[in-house]
Amino acid sequence: MAEATWDDSSAGNAPIRTEAEIIRNAREGPSSWRLILRVPGWPGFRPGQFAMLSAGAQQAARRTDPLLPRPMAVYRESGVDRSDVEILYKRVGRGTALLAEALPGQRVAIVGPLGRAFPPPQSGEGVIIVAGGTGIASVYELAARLAGAHSVEVLFGARTASDLMALEDFEALGAPLEVATEDGSAGVRGVVTDLLESALDDLPAAGADFSGSTRRIYVCGPTAMMRRCADIAARREVPCIAALENAMACGFGVCLGCAAPLRRGGYALVCRDGPAFDAASIDWERLP
Amino acid sequence: MKESQGVDTTVDLGGIALRNPVLTASGTFGYGTEFAPFLDLRRLGGFVAKSLTLEPRVGNPPPRIAEAPSGMLNAISLENVGVEAFIGEKLPAIPAGVTVIASVFETDIDRYAEVCKRLTGVPRVAGLEINASCPHVKSGGIEFGQDPAVLGQLVRTTRRATTLPLLVKLSPNVTHIAEMARVCEGEGASGISLINAVQALEVDPETRRPLLSNGFGGLSGPAIRPIALRMVWQASQAVSIPICGIGGIESAADAVKFLLCGAVAVQVGTSNYLQPSIAGDVADGIAEYAARHGYPRIRDLVGALVFPGR
Repeated sequence: MAEATWDDSSAGNAPIRTEAEIIRNAREGPSSWRLILRVPGWPGFRPGQFAMLSAGAQQAARRTDPLLPRPMAVYRESGVDRSDVEILYKRVGRGTALLAEALPGQRVAIVGPLGRAFPPPQSGEGVIIVAGGTGIASVYELAARLAGAHSVEVLFGARTASDLMALEDFEALGAPLEVATEDGSAGVRGVVTDLLESALDDLPAAGADFSGSTRRIYVCGPTAMMRRCADIAARREVPCIAALENAMACGFGVCLGCAAPLRRGGYALVCRDGPAFDAASIDWERLP
Repeated sequence: MKESQGVDTTVDLGGIALRNPVLTASGTFGYGTEFAPFLDLRRLGGFVAKSLTLEPRVGNPPPRIAEAPSGMLNAISLENVGVEAFIGEKLPAIPAGVTVIASVFETDIDRYAEVCKRLTGVPRVAGLEINASCPHVKSGGIEFGQDPAVLGQLVRTTRRATTLPLLVKLSPNVTHIAEMARVCEGEGASGISLINAVQALEVDPETRRPLLSNGFGGLSGPAIRPIALRMVWQASQAVSIPICGIGGIESAADAVKFLLCGAVAVQVGTSNYLQPSIAGDVADGIAEYAARHGYPRIRDLVGALVFPGR
């Protein structure tokens, strides 16, 4: 079993920049893809870290449009020396369209791993992982590392059944998985935050004086959904960690494009200070 | 003499001795240390640090960046650690042997001069670059670099405030760049850096709003390179002080184009985000180009453009 704790400081695995070979890039469902990159010298990653990817020709006819690389959660590692990096993504715009059209054997520029890891839970804490849409890609490694050492529940919401991805991977972890879709085409009809409310209603057996402090929520998904989770967590006094997905140009603290407004004033950089934050520290009203 | 592939790569940028002509542009290279995992900074001629104000400043609300065809828009505003934290914390973290140029950015001329004074005499600061693209509050928000009289006053005052080599980074948002270059030369600037980002607007048709919270942003990246080459060429024809060419450089070939158009040195900007080791590769590639074309010194390339009618 993988270790159930890890270093979430900003120190640690220094990122690399290289051109990775596409081993596999296959569609899974109508708009989801699974990409496997062979990354020579990959230094390993910790749950919550991400990489910047640029698809398209890399050498003689280097592409300049779209110009910017796309931040992508590292889903997991595989391969003999763990240098195959797996990315789950959805084709939503020009950058991901180029990525979706890339073929095995072609190269993708990668900078990573970047950002800080999720803060690990306290010993004995129950963990509720809430994912919306492609947010599921940010939390697989978290669930995989914690399953077995902690009580882990995964709540996954999407608009419709075809937006769900990676269900089999999560089922294989053996942790309880609940699904909600807005149109009821899979799982419970409704939104994933309803599942969160229900999960928090289920008091542990010890019961009566439970204050919520022995559970922790991790969330990644659309801003509105994360904000709702933050509100629920605050109301119930449960710690909540949110992984933000702002647009960014560099991924390593230089372009200052990924500023997230803080409740105490000022900004944090999602790439350098996050992507995971204490949900109570974010000024959700001012986050686009 | 610094040599690479038998070529003398050294250049003199207005009194700043550079081991090669490749710098990185202010605002695209942080305070230098962010690039440590990707690039040995000693491969560079030097770098221009993020623009400094007297006090630490917080930037604009998000969204601060947006994509554009072969480019990007940014509206970060003045976000920086302030001149004291730069001197106390950021400079000491930069490896020895790296040439550092400090960039100065303020809202009125006296404050520009204050920052220049504070940086003068600080070990490791080899020169200053005055960012003249800041809106001048007293002139109703026009950039300092857009009005020859205001620009002249800015250069004169900052020139008096420091003994360091003084570069002036010009705004491209003007009709006659040659006139602005002459103002800088006339007021004693050691050199000129150009171009800064091009003022631009990008719109979301669905929401009927600009993509950036600030409305306007600065366009940078390969999209602006031909504009920058044109302006560098025009400025180099107008003045004899050295020019540092900036705008969408992605390769050694791009950098050579700027040298041919009259730039003594270049700055790599937006490409640092995409390829954090690119500036070192550009420096190596310029030397290869010079060797291949039989130029013993990189500075022999400067202004070697064969322009029709000249």
